[in-house]
Amino acid sequence: MATKKLRRAQLSQEMCERLSRYQITTCQDFLCLSLLELMKVTGQSYYEVQKLLCKVSRACAPKMQTAYEMKLRKSVNPSSAFLSTTLHSLDRVLHGGVPCGSLTEITSPPGCGKTQFCIMLSVLATLPVSMGGLDGAVIYIDTESAFSAERLIEIAANSFPTYFDSDEKLLCMTRSIHLYRELTCCSVLKRIMSLEEEIILKKVKLIIIDSVASVVRKEFDTKLQGNLAERSNFLTRGASVLKYLAEEFSIPVILTNQITTSLSSGPGIRADLVSPADDLSLSE
Amino acid sequence: MQREVGTLPLAPALRARLAAAGFQTAQELLDTGPCGLSKEIGISREEALEALQVVRQECHGDAARPAGGSGATRKYTALELLEEEQSQGFIITFCSALDNILGGGVQLTKITEICGAPGVGKTQLCMQLAVDVQIPECFGGVAGEAVFIDTEGSFMVDRVVDIAAACVQHCHLIAEAQQEEDHQKALETFSLENILSHIYYFRCRDYTELLAQVYLLPEFLSEHSKVRLVVIDGIAFPFRHDFEDLSLRTRLLNGLAQQLIIIANDHRAAVVLTNQMTTRIGQSQSTLVPALGESWGHAATVRLILHWDNSQRLATLYKSPSQKESTIAYHITSRGFRDVQPPAVTHSTEGTELNPRKRPRAEEEKQ
Repeated sequence: MATKKLRRAQLSQEMCERLSRYQITTCQDFLCLSLLELMKVTGQSYYEVQKLLCKVSRACAPKMQTAYEMKLRKSVNPSSAFLSTTLHSLDRVLHGGVPCGSLTEITSPPGCGKTQFCIMLSVLATLPVSMGGLDGAVIYIDTESAFSAERLIEIAANSFPTYFDSDEKLLCMTRSIHLYRELTCCSVLKRIMSLEEEIILKKVKLIIIDSVASVVRKEFDTKLQGNLAERSNFLTRGASVLKYLAEEFSIPVILTNQITTSLSSGPGIRADLVSPADDLSLSE
Repeated sequence: MQREVGTLPLAPALRARLAAAGFQTAQELLDTGPCGLSKEIGISREEALEALQVVRQECHGDAARPAGGSGATRKYTALELLEEEQSQGFIITFCSALDNILGGGVQLTKITEICGAPGVGKTQLCMQLAVDVQIPECFGGVAGEAVFIDTEGSFMVDRVVDIAAACVQHCHLIAEAQQEEDHQKALETFSLENILSHIYYFRCRDYTELLAQVYLLPEFLSEHSKVRLVVIDGIAFPFRHDFEDLSLRTRLLNGLAQQLIIIANDHRAAVVLTNQMTTRIGQSQSTLVPALGESWGHAATVRLILHWDNSQRLATLYKSPSQKESTIAYHITSRGFRDVQPPAVTHSTEGTELNPRKRPRAEEEKQ
């Protein structure tokens, strides 16, 4: 919305040409200027400029919905609101399972089972809706090279022996899990940016990033000057794109995180990244 | 009428030409008339007429102002302000300790900022306020509607349903206890569907959409005149990434703050903003401070900081023009924002139950 060109905001042709002489071509450029600057640039009076501002704002402002409409929309298909994890007590605590349309963060010390949990969720997402799955593909972004395809087949065959009764079905399931190995922050971010088209193309219903913490901790040493700002920059950018994808396509997005010790007087264990991305947190 | 030409809200090019032609006061312009003006400056007659209409409107506005009309400056005596403040309602938060330190609740016509680390309850408080603003006047509320501008996507409708249901139930209990007629009448309109239909939700994905929405807010509020609360959940989130030019960020934030102050005053609404915390690296230690820098601290009238102390959530009133700085404890239950129940009371099992959606700070659950 921010990069919407001014000519699609229903400004007149000559106004758009005049503004482009000052390098103002998108709604974002227009709205970042103050009123006096706008008067100078457009050559209009104060009231005219205010009217123009309203026009441009209308072109990029979000649509209004009431909370009631949102509730109605959700209650229309309740089963698609959660991905059940098949662990009954966990599902109960989460009010149904991993929620669709928001980010979920899984945190634990090493060896507790984060990657195993992610692999199991990938299997669950490929199951048909009647069995509690999402009947779709999975995008798995692996930064630690911890994903094991053999383990995936083992979990699938043993958890659902009646469904995966033939090799054919197992292969079909593995074909719908798309694995990407990314080893740097930059490539992770690029991959996240390119996900929108993949989701539509491959009918993806679950995104897993395992793990955000390992790439970030490899590259950003918080003791160095300036790295903290860059690190949070990277995290917030990734987080906002992932949030947009989760909401737009109503799919769950799962991130895994690591635990570090915070040297303070309180309890010693705390999740490392104070990232603004998490809506829910499961501490294992 | 003696207003100088340079101060009129005309296009800059036009103003330059008028100055070059020697016009100094607005009265001179009005005396010249459109035809004379167009000949002297070399603009078309229509443009000249438009300019004169603007001038006339401005001068008319100037003349009307001493009569107390709504102009750029208003005169009040402190006594009038006192009467206005005392008759104003507060938006209660259902946590009486928090209402006490705020002086009754969230004040209308002021900007309140809620800062805190993730997971401490900022969005919960905002959702609670969006429901509480709709409480009818006979129950002590302001009977208004709410605008919720969400930049982080953390608004959960199911949670608002829980909070609203608990609020309606609470009012029913009061009505049964007191048995007054207007209570019963008010309860007819105070239902779950009504509460949800009067929360107007906007999802802004970046700062451009946020700026656009705030520019359009005055118009929206004029159409929906019953709105008494504007919540912007996550004013920091869109401004914390993708901003190399920090001076642009400061300028945009200041502009936003000014517009919000105007909205709060003109429409008698409370504006509630939530902010994130950031680490400031000092000489020997690093502290958590509200994000967006020092200059943003001046934007809000009242600042509330929510934080943890082991497993207890605390709220500190950090900045307020009328109340003293103090800290209280609160709980987030399945019914919303509540006081910490003292352990002796029989309702302790419901009250001290932590919201299952929040991160458990105690020992990890064994699988």
